[in-house]
Amino acid sequence: MRAVFSQFIKSKTFTLIVLLVVVVVFFQVTSPGSSFLSPANIKNILDSMVIYILFAIGSGMLIISGYIDLSPGFIGVFAGIMVGSLLGNGIPWYISAVLTIAAGALFGLFNAFLVDVLRIQAFIATLATGSFIAKGIAMIITDGKVLNITDPTIVWIGTGKLPGGIPVAIVISLVLIIVFGIILAKTKFGRTIYLCGGNVTAAKFAGLNPRKLTYILFAINGALGALAGVIYSGRMLIANFTSTSNYTFPAITAAILGGISFGGGSGGMLGCFLGLLIINSFNNGLTLLGVTPYWQSVFSGVLLLLALTFDYISIRNRMRIKPAKVHYDPRMWYKRNRNREDGEIG
Amino acid sequence: MGQVLEFVNIYKAFPGVQALQDVSFRADGGKVTALMGENGAGKSTLLKILSGDLRPDRGHVSFNGEVKHFMSPHQSLNSGISVIYQERQLINSMNVMENIFLEDMPGNKLGIINRSELKRRTQEIIDAFGLPIRPTDIVGNLSVAHQQMVEIMKAYRRDSAVIAFDEPTAPLTDKEITILFKLIRQLREQGRIILYVSHRIAEIFQITDEIVVLKDGRLVRTFNTPETTERELVRAMVGRDIGDTYANLKRNDKIGEALLEVKNLVTDYVHDVSFTLRRGEILGFAGLIGAGRTEVARAIFGVDPVHSGEIKLEGETVRFKSPRDAIARGIMLCPEDRKEQGLILQRSIRDNVTMPVLSQLRKGIFLDRKSETALAKEAVRKYSIRTPSVEMQVMQLSGGNQQKTILGRWTSEKIETKILILDEPTKGIDVGTKAEVYQMVCDFAKQGIGVIFISSELTEVLNVSDNIIVMHNGHITGRVSRAEATEENVLEMAMRI
Ligand SMILES: Nc1ncnc2c1ncn2[C@@H]1O[C@H](COP(=O)(O)OP(=O)(O)OP(=O)(O)O)[C@@H](O)[C@H]1O
Ligand SMILES: [Mg+2]
Repeated sequence: MRAVFSQFIKSKTFTLIVLLVVVVVFFQVTSPGSSFLSPANIKNILDSMVIYILFAIGSGMLIISGYIDLSPGFIGVFAGIMVGSLLGNGIPWYISAVLTIAAGALFGLFNAFLVDVLRIQAFIATLATGSFIAKGIAMIITDGKVLNITDPTIVWIGTGKLPGGIPVAIVISLVLIIVFGIILAKTKFGRTIYLCGGNVTAAKFAGLNPRKLTYILFAINGALGALAGVIYSGRMLIANFTSTSNYTFPAITAAILGGISFGGGSGGMLGCFLGLLIINSFNNGLTLLGVTPYWQSVFSGVLLLLALTFDYISIRNRMRIKPAKVHYDPRMWYKRNRNREDGEIG
Repeated sequence: MGQVLEFVNIYKAFPGVQALQDVSFRADGGKVTALMGENGAGKSTLLKILSGDLRPDRGHVSFNGEVKHFMSPHQSLNSGISVIYQERQLINSMNVMENIFLEDMPGNKLGIINRSELKRRTQEIIDAFGLPIRPTDIVGNLSVAHQQMVEIMKAYRRDSAVIAFDEPTAPLTDKEITILFKLIRQLREQGRIILYVSHRIAEIFQITDEIVVLKDGRLVRTFNTPETTERELVRAMVGRDIGDTYANLKRNDKIGEALLEVKNLVTDYVHDVSFTLRRGEILGFAGLIGAGRTEVARAIFGVDPVHSGEIKLEGETVRFKSPRDAIARGIMLCPEDRKEQGLILQRSIRDNVTMPVLSQLRKGIFLDRKSETALAKEAVRKYSIRTPSVEMQVMQLSGGNQQKTILGRWTSEKIETKILILDEPTKGIDVGTKAEVYQMVCDFAKQGIGVIFISSELTEVLNVSDNIIVMHNGHITGRVSRAEATEENVLEMAMRI
């Protein structure tokens, strides 16, 4: 029992919980009228996390598998427009939503094709798919015009409440992160993500199929991006060209803060969730204190740097043998790709 | 007065393991001091303390009477100490000369590197070693043996007073070993202090003057090499007699029908290779580095593309597109490079062992942690892996224990094997466990499994295999049975021009 406890104390989860407690206590004490922990504010915080959670699930899994995906925010933009115009043409909400999410998955498959077959760096490939192609197509669809979302069901998904006053969107995102968390931790598929992310050549030699995994993960991330776009448009009652586009980076930041490392092969959904909770509580607290959005942005940047430093130190501690910059060395990326090429043979 | 390096009352603990406990000894200039002990005994940890990579919990190192508390590898290097680690530290994407001169490239005042000077000086070192590599070769493209030699050249270049080698010969074949030993003798003549770690007993008697034996982190004995025997040394290390490893093997005497037939196989690396592996047969592959043994295995396993020729499994022509296909048909490959192709270093022993058999370890859709743990524990027991638990990250294991983990993966009871390909399976493994690995290989043969046994350690291939295939430069240059094989005739075939 003591061993389990002492392991827990050293774990990343414990550090995150401590960090969360620090943030919560600080803002609870300093916020006007101790409003930070009021039920209404807690709901605000959770509400602000909905879109981020959806992005963090897919991006988190991709980073664990050794890739990165910058496109889901833009796929969300596309999805808002697509669902808006389908609905505008009188197509029922469920068909519109399913088609849109399927389109998101297609974008994901396209990303996977770019990195797997054409061997373009994921960073560039997904940026191109997202910010140029997905967003571009969205603009073509409406000829640059913004759409109003009026379909009652989509609006309900975005803004509605279940009996007891719990927002539908929060429930959707929490259920998804729990389901994916379980998949990641408990299933063969989840384990495969860690193994391929840890050493793709070794995974291949052990009979796993890293290429298939790449396609599946990018598709999931695309689909979740599209789902986020649909929910977002339902909340805002409008589909425009910025919508979710700025959500990707903070979601990735939270995943990294939560212990998913760019080195691949480690981290999990609980950490991801705690990371988001910390960042969103932090921003919410700053708002309560009346800090302007500009300063909030600066503080978030500092938090991001802290997260990366954390990550770096923990990698360095684990890699005792090589104290040099193991995972932040660009050559590591080169090496990973070399391994992928090795894997490609045959 | 010669140079003296002393370790004084060194202690070092890791979570769950006391890696070193009150270790004190001295190593003199002009002598080669061997560090011996089972896997996880603390040899590499001691060398990492010497290099400043780790700091001892208690105790210190003293060099020529001066107490040293190295805080970084940099300080240790500056004091004239070079440690060649068990795990290679090269940058694969850079070329040979850049790796050798990594910390101080010759250049002008502005820091602009003088490439021709760099090339010339590297070529000098390569010539001194007599190796067939070029200064501009990319390290990642070299064979493992040549990478290891680059690592050694890097230390040689620094011209240090103390040079420590941690299992330098594990990835080498006889040819490079000869070169290395010539070099070590030369360094000894120059009065340098040399520390030498190896699990190959024969080498210890060939090259070292003194032997320090560690067991479970404690120093148990020191020997003067000429005054001891192999038997005495092994007993000090293992704590018991292991007897004659090869004579005591319980071998399989029923070799059955053909299991795998390879005819005129051609790939990028091998030419016109033909052989037959029978049920219950242990087929050894001997040869020097670059002979193409690993490449034959890779072609069968579906890693390298086959240009022409035929591979028949139980009479049926097969051509695997990926290891996945090969595994599905019962062909397992335990790869030579455990770090690159074998292990997921940041995952636990358990995750590494269960990797290829996850589908069988499920309860419904979920992985069954209990049976996973049981399988991993079995591997830990079978190969006496030294670890506090199966949850331990493989990265934190000693080199030999890492090798045991990957053996454990490919020999677990859940794997349904028809053909087992072992590529340098005993690399870095201690003497006691080696005997167990050989017996395990024989046991597999008894079950009717065909084993391909690739090894650079000649004695081992010759004594474990039923039949031996010798390769040179991508061609098969000889076939002998165990009875006919001698080190001389096999080496001759291996070097044939
Ligand atoms: N970074 C680490 N974290 C935790 N334990 C470690 C770490 N490094 C080494 N150990 C443990 O310390 C012990 C000694 O390891 P060391 O690498 O010195 O063994 P060794 O004698 O070199 O063995 P081998 O012959 O297998 O190379 C082992 O039990 C190992 O698991
Ligand atoms: Mg070692």
